[in-house]
Amino acid sequence: MSWAASPPAQVAGSALRRTVGSASGVASLAGALVIWVALLGPVITLLTHLSWHQITTALAVPGALDPLLVSVESGAITLAVLLLLGTPLAWKLARGSLPFPRVWEAGVLCSLLLPPLVIGLLLIFMVGPFTPIGELLGHVHLSATNTFLALVIAEVYESAPYYVLGAQAAFAAVDPAIEEQAALLGDRPSRVARRVTLPLAAPGLAMALAVAWARAMGAFGAVVIIAYHPYGIPLQIWTTLQETGLPTALPFALVLLVVALPLPLAAYFWSARARGRRRA
Amino acid sequence: MLEADVELDRREFRLSAAFAVAAGERLALFGPSGAGKTTILEVIAGLQEPGRGTVVLDGRVLTRTAPPRRQVPPWQRRVGLLRQDPALFPHLSVRQNLAYAARTRPGPGTGRDEITRIAERLGIGGLVDDRPARLSGGQAHRVALGRLLASRCDALLLDEPYTGLDASLTRDLTDLVREVVAARQVPSVLVAHELEAAQAFADRMAVLDRGQILQLGSPAEVVAAPAARRVAELVGYRAFVPLPEDPGTVAGVHPDRVIPGRQPGRGVVLAGPVRSCRPAGAGWEATIEMVTIETASAETASAETASAETASAETASAETASAERASAETGGGGAGGGGAGGTLVPVRLREAPAGGGDFTFTVLAPPCFRPDGTRVTRAEEVPT
Repeated sequence: MSWAASPPAQVAGSALRRTVGSASGVASLAGALVIWVALLGPVITLLTHLSWHQITTALAVPGALDPLLVSVESGAITLAVLLLLGTPLAWKLARGSLPFPRVWEAGVLCSLLLPPLVIGLLLIFMVGPFTPIGELLGHVHLSATNTFLALVIAEVYESAPYYVLGAQAAFAAVDPAIEEQAALLGDRPSRVARRVTLPLAAPGLAMALAVAWARAMGAFGAVVIIAYHPYGIPLQIWTTLQETGLPTALPFALVLLVVALPLPLAAYFWSARARGRRRA
Repeated sequence: MLEADVELDRREFRLSAAFAVAAGERLALFGPSGAGKTTILEVIAGLQEPGRGTVVLDGRVLTRTAPPRRQVPPWQRRVGLLRQDPALFPHLSVRQNLAYAARTRPGPGTGRDEITRIAERLGIGGLVDDRPARLSGGQAHRVALGRLLASRCDALLLDEPYTGLDASLTRDLTDLVREVVAARQVPSVLVAHELEAAQAFADRMAVLDRGQILQLGSPAEVVAAPAARRVAELVGYRAFVPLPEDPGTVAGVHPDRVIPGRQPGRGVVLAGPVRSCRPAGAGWEATIEMVTIETASAETASAETASAETASAETASAETASAERASAETGGGGAGGGGAGGTLVPVRLREAPAGGGDFTFTVLAPPCFRPDGTRVTRAEEVPT
């Protein structure tokens, strides 16, 4: 038969493929390791360049931890705003229940793609003291420049697209057939959302929220323009760096990491576990 | 009692179907894919709004497009729907899945003991603490059924729930649903594109094609006496042989409704050479090239036809049929070995036909159809 001669060639071919496969496997493993170590590099560097003494002296300065409080407070308010306003938008985007869904998505993407510095500049022109919105705020004795409010606004702008896009993906992963069954079993839409949609989307929502938290904690570009005061940690790092140099700024970098990272990491491990349980 | 009268414009045709299902009755909507079967279920469940129509369940008007308009939302309908995807709640245990409706519809049937009882009856008593992800396909379907039972729905809709499962599992689950319907005395509607699935479930069948109900009858009746040629095609008639003495009229041959040998009192006798023969299940499927045909009202006629009508034939046109007739009248002897070929008739037999010579067989009481596809009652259709 015509294919009787081909097996040896096939064996050679598959052996070759195996070698190439293992070579490319080694290469890709090496690449993965390099990028992973490179990504972790800054964290490792930070830890190797800090001594316990440095940390205690830097943080012992009176008022040194005030920016931490400012950052945590503004970040918490930012998350609340995102949860309240971003979640419904993400759900509607995921279900395609908005007219012109592409336009809505493009709007969210737009704020993601704008450099934070540019956002800060434009925010001045939007909510600054001599704008209609600024004047409106002035009537209720509020100002959206160099205030706590300004800081929250800047953080919302910098973190919102990360949350909305992440939450949209989380909602899109919920099977509509399951929501349909919940409705047929007697749950009106609000109860379906509470008993089925939100619990199923929760791991993804938590991840999106964690990313948004990290962005809000580290927000700098828009903040430095519209909310120089009161200092959050990123500005504290910046001004310390400007005034007294690298070594004194480093402890605050550690503070920022300690504040910004645990929530995302916890969210990551929790959502990974929840997903694993559903798949098992 | 479930009464549905649904009209809805689809891209290629208008869906228009009306039927009533009594309490405890099992109706099958049988038809090819894309006939509109699922749409009908979704209208009954309230997932779609019909262009025109009404849905009434136990006297409750669920859908009415005529004023005063009414469209009860799905969560107030108490209509259970099972689909191919059991759609269990993956974040809840089996017990929580079963008891899901208890919070919105508390009452007898949703208590902890009742849930345990249902689980046990469905053979999933040992799984109530598991997560759905750990269940096999059959177990998941049992839980989905149990969840509907515990929700005490007033009607049961099944959208080909068990396609893709293996045969014995399908049989078990179908029996289970039949038991449930009998015990609960709810109207039930099954959508199926496989005749066997419809027959295994239903005590009444509606044959649906392109949005129209072509026939409504018992599963046996629909197969034995299809109301139109299209129905015959859908329920498995694979050859339509022209009747020599009646131009344009054809007799439908179902592969299962033939017996070997010549028994003119029981139907139409056909004969011809065996063109192919292969095992089918426990028996054989043979294709006979029809050369002679003998009907109750005419002498044996030779029917070496010019145009072969295959199993998947389009609706016969009068022209083709009369052409066949003409050739049948002028045609020669019945050898037909290398000729243009007559109508190929697939038949299923218990024993393979003996080789050599023509094979003679009797088509039991074949339904006959006019050129326009409507049914005509002839002497051949003596009851068997």
